[in-house]
Amino acid sequence: MILTASIYLCAALAALATLLMMFQRDPVKAAMFMLTALLATAGLYLALSAQLLAALQVILYAGAIMTLFTVALMATPQAWRDKPAPGRALKVLGLAAAAVILAELLKVSYILRSVKISPEFSETGTLGVARELFGRFAFQFELLSLVIIASIVGAVALAMKRRPA
Amino acid sequence: MSAYSLSAISFVLFALAAAGFLTCGNLVRMLMFLELMLNAANIALVALGQSAGSQAYAIMLLAVAAAEAGVGLALIMTLAASFKTLEAENIKELKG
Repeated sequence: MILTASIYLCAALAALATLLMMFQRDPVKAAMFMLTALLATAGLYLALSAQLLAALQVILYAGAIMTLFTVALMATPQAWRDKPAPGRALKVLGLAAAAVILAELLKVSYILRSVKISPEFSETGTLGVARELFGRFAFQFELLSLVIIASIVGAVALAMKRRPA
Repeated sequence: MSAYSLSAISFVLFALAAAGFLTCGNLVRMLMFLELMLNAANIALVALGQSAGSQAYAIMLLAVAAAEAGVGLALIMTLAASFKTLEAENIKELKG
């Protein structure tokens, strides 16, 4: 009961933060709303008994990625000066497209209505997740390191190109 | 609580992030909403999977999101340096 309530509460908080982020002019305040949404997601993971994932969410998303965004906002002063283009029709189109996506997704997953899930507290240990990562998903996990290496090389190459030779 | 309401939570979050992505023109903000979309997909994985396997998959998605944020921000800063703007509307030519 309390888990169900907290799932709905965290979800509502995340949705509210995302909505406020859309209407926030100040980019740093928008980043703070994003932080709220990410922390609410961490709470959602806790309520869904994914403790390791909740910790990783706080460390990786709310810690590392948010720091990256804040530094990027500071390093690009254009973000503060730029006047947003007043394309109102474009905004309405974007909202309509998102509404269509939502309606389609809800319609497709309607079949899930008969599946009952009662969220109960259970401990999904780190050991179980590690067994999956290094057992069944070992190849994918190793491929992931390749993705990260490629992204590091790409980011460094892009940053080096900025200096005119 | 049915699986439908759990999936509806992630769908609503995804649609809100998609709406933000489609309506705002600032590149950094668009990347932020992209991260939130990935986040919503992660919620669907964890909520509907309810096993160690789906959580392992979600952890891999987390790493992909981190890598994507790094490359995306490097790209955006390069664009900002050469175009002196961060509005997607103002970046029109592909010639470096």
